[in-house]
Amino acid sequence: MKKRNLILTIISIIVLAIFIFYADSNFDAYQVRILNLCAIYTILGLSMNLINGFTGLFSLGHAGFMAVGAYTTALLTMSLAAKEQNFFMQPLVAPLNSIVWPFLPSLLAGGLMAAFVAYLIGAPALRLKGDYLAIATLGFGEIIRVIFTNTQNITNGALGLKGIPSSTNLWWSFGIAIVTIIVLLSLINSSYGRAFKAIREDEIAAESMGINLFKHKSISFMIGAFFAGVGGGLLGSLLGTIDPLMFRFLLTFNILLIIVLGGMSSVTGTIISAFVITIAQEVLRFLDEPMNFGFAVVQITGLRMVIFSALLMVVVLFYRNGLMGSREFSWDKLIKLFKRNPLVKGGTK
Amino acid sequence: MTLDVFLQHITNGISLGSLYALIAIGYTMVYGILRLINFAHGDIFMMATYFAFYGVVIFSLPWYFVFVFAIILTGILGIIVEKTAYKTLRDAPKISILISAIGASYLLENLAVVIFGGRPKAFPTPDLFNKVVQVGNISVQRLTFIIPVVTVALLFMLLYLINKTKSGMAMRAVSKDHETARLMGVDVDKTISFTFFIGSMLAAVGGIMWALKFPQIQPLMGVIPGLKCFIAAVIGGIGNVTGAVVGGFILGIGEIMLVALLPSLTGYRDAFAFILLIVILIFKPTGIMGEKISEKV
Amino acid sequence: MSLLKADQITMQFGGLTAVNNFNLELNKNEIVALIGPNGAGKTTAFNMITGVYNPTKGKIYFEGKDITGLRPDQITSLGIARTFQNIRLFKELSVLENVLIANHLNVKSNVFEAIFKLPRYMKEEKSMISKSIELLDKVGLGDLKYEKSSSLPYGKQRRLEIARALATNPKILLLDEPAAGMNPKETEDLTSFIKEIKEQFDLTIFMIEHHMQVVMGISNVIYVLDYGITIAQGSPYDIQNNQKVIEAYLGVSENDA
Repeated sequence: MKKRNLILTIISIIVLAIFIFYADSNFDAYQVRILNLCAIYTILGLSMNLINGFTGLFSLGHAGFMAVGAYTTALLTMSLAAKEQNFFMQPLVAPLNSIVWPFLPSLLAGGLMAAFVAYLIGAPALRLKGDYLAIATLGFGEIIRVIFTNTQNITNGALGLKGIPSSTNLWWSFGIAIVTIIVLLSLINSSYGRAFKAIREDEIAAESMGINLFKHKSISFMIGAFFAGVGGGLLGSLLGTIDPLMFRFLLTFNILLIIVLGGMSSVTGTIISAFVITIAQEVLRFLDEPMNFGFAVVQITGLRMVIFSALLMVVVLFYRNGLMGSREFSWDKLIKLFKRNPLVKGGTK
Repeated sequence: MTLDVFLQHITNGISLGSLYALIAIGYTMVYGILRLINFAHGDIFMMATYFAFYGVVIFSLPWYFVFVFAIILTGILGIIVEKTAYKTLRDAPKISILISAIGASYLLENLAVVIFGGRPKAFPTPDLFNKVVQVGNISVQRLTFIIPVVTVALLFMLLYLINKTKSGMAMRAVSKDHETARLMGVDVDKTISFTFFIGSMLAAVGGIMWALKFPQIQPLMGVIPGLKCFIAAVIGGIGNVTGAVVGGFILGIGEIMLVALLPSLTGYRDAFAFILLIVILIFKPTGIMGEKISEKV
Repeated sequence: MSLLKADQITMQFGGLTAVNNFNLELNKNEIVALIGPNGAGKTTAFNMITGVYNPTKGKIYFEGKDITGLRPDQITSLGIARTFQNIRLFKELSVLENVLIANHLNVKSNVFEAIFKLPRYMKEEKSMISKSIELLDKVGLGDLKYEKSSSLPYGKQRRLEIARALATNPKILLLDEPAAGMNPKETEDLTSFIKEIKEQFDLTIFMIEHHMQVVMGISNVIYVLDYGITIAQGSPYDIQNNQKVIEAYLGVSENDA
């Protein structure tokens, strides 16, 4: 049974690899970019869901962790010439001004930096609960942004960074997304994951069962931040430019939308919803364009975001559990479905 | 720093603090009654300025008439937000309610972009407020005096409402326990709506005075003041109206003084509130005047 | 030496003294009951012992070691486990998961060993699962191990909560009103269940209970609290005949007052 599922999983990863191989050479730049964004938002959604959905910590500082990851990765990968061009106001501090790292170690460094920042923030913030935690993490996210706006000789301040080497491609983004899925699933189903869920269900009972709340919250927070940092690094490299304004609360909001729509404690839901929302954001772009109704041409700037915020409201008000609630995809369920309904075609993962 | 300059800063601080205080009251009232951070409060504040703007600019009505009208309209908007975004979720998990609050906030902002346009608009300031008053060596805009006076007057009116009237008693009862209040014959839903109405009207007064002081309005103008005022409410002790005012003053004066005394940290001005928040939450999570709420085990 | 000793512990909330100078001695393998009218401070006493509250005054010793002011999880890992008055199961999780969570405090592997399924962790996980299943079989919940815990009937939820506490390997088990809301039949089952687990797991039991049938039937010593003050302590026989206790429960008669 288990072996069969493993084989099925490996087969679907191979199918995905073939798809990426095909997409890489046949899709146009715009389509490839959207696919990249889908994978990156999967990573970001999962990282936030670990903290908010599985551990029940209402954290709103995700954009801050992404900023740390994105800046770290960018500053490590940028060529010396690009750095010199960017930092014309104040020179970049040593040793950043003389090193250029390859992509993967830079991404990991970005993730580790974000985890480290999460450790520092967590020390005071994770002692708070509920609303207070939400507002404190939101505050820390803003503080990170304000600091980045003001540290001219490290982040280039409000000017941001331009000319970040575009190393992100489908192999990187989907590869890392898959690693993230595997790592998080393994974590969630381990004894530590159970401890996280216990904290989500009932903190007082969890503590009485011998679970050190602070330690486990910190672990969840740091692992979540690590992947947020890696996701941020990938995003920065995909876009080529970053600046502090990018990492406003709006970014956290977008990821929140993904995990709420997908289901607050479902990995499957987050993955599906990351794709749906990212693609929908692009498809619905026409809403902001001039629209020809035959009798008149109307352009309503911002309509797209109205629809997205209304969507979030509708989901929370009427479909509180989102797409999947806490359910997960499993091969066993899929096969059962096949057996009952032999005529229905099943999709791949 | 000379005494004059110092006084000048203090006056500015008090004026800014009064604005924070007015908005913070709305947060604290809603939190007191629903245990909910009304994320949309900052956006309600923004909407008030647009109501006033259109009243004056488009309909060219007299400003006092417009202001009263805008304040009432904003109060009604507060009730609408409560009815749509919060009422159905009253028994839902806290996280759902918070998400709904964030959603309502974004919806209002984006609606404002669509309806009013994303570009900032210049808010017309009646001459009455603009006159500069000379006190000794400091020159102050008349508005700078008006703001704290209005704030303090409204605070006393509100305290009277809460402590001496029947509706106020209903509010206090609901804030203690919804079920018991209902059993005692209090119309809980009506009381909650009334709380939103009052809180939003106060935000509207704050918003209009804010727009008079910083006469440029745009759809995202409520975000940062909104967050800061929530922080002011927490500093003062969430759920406590006087605390919110105290918190507002601390934050306003603190911000102005930070910039005045340590000009090199000007860029960090917006971070000041958050740092203050975190310090307060660690050392005195109940705020300056808040009561301790312990969870029953 | 007593296993657990509370020395003059006092808990004040603002101006209210919920528990005043409470003394307690638990000896190994005893069953001790704490009774008293509602609001007498019984659960508060529990919460001080288990670390949920930090006593305003006084000391608590476990096996001679001062444990005052430790966190609940530290106290649990020393060997004091508890249940709650209003059942606090991990509702969305399965029966087995509930018990597995109580095993987590013994996990030595770090989180990376768990994520990457390294041998030490896999060994621990395996033994954790077999131990938990064994425990569930022992308490008669073996058939229900994959059920969602909140779907269990009330009596079984109580039982699961006790099983979950047992999974932490306690020396002392604190039960907060284990028979609350049970019918006579269930109460009877519970009484024998408590005796059973006491023998099987070599436990010392300290419990809050209102059902006199349970209390008188199995306790070695009974403490009576009223308005935070210990008004009596002794064997079930002593307590039944204690004038102060009768007054606390039935009220003072006109003539005496």
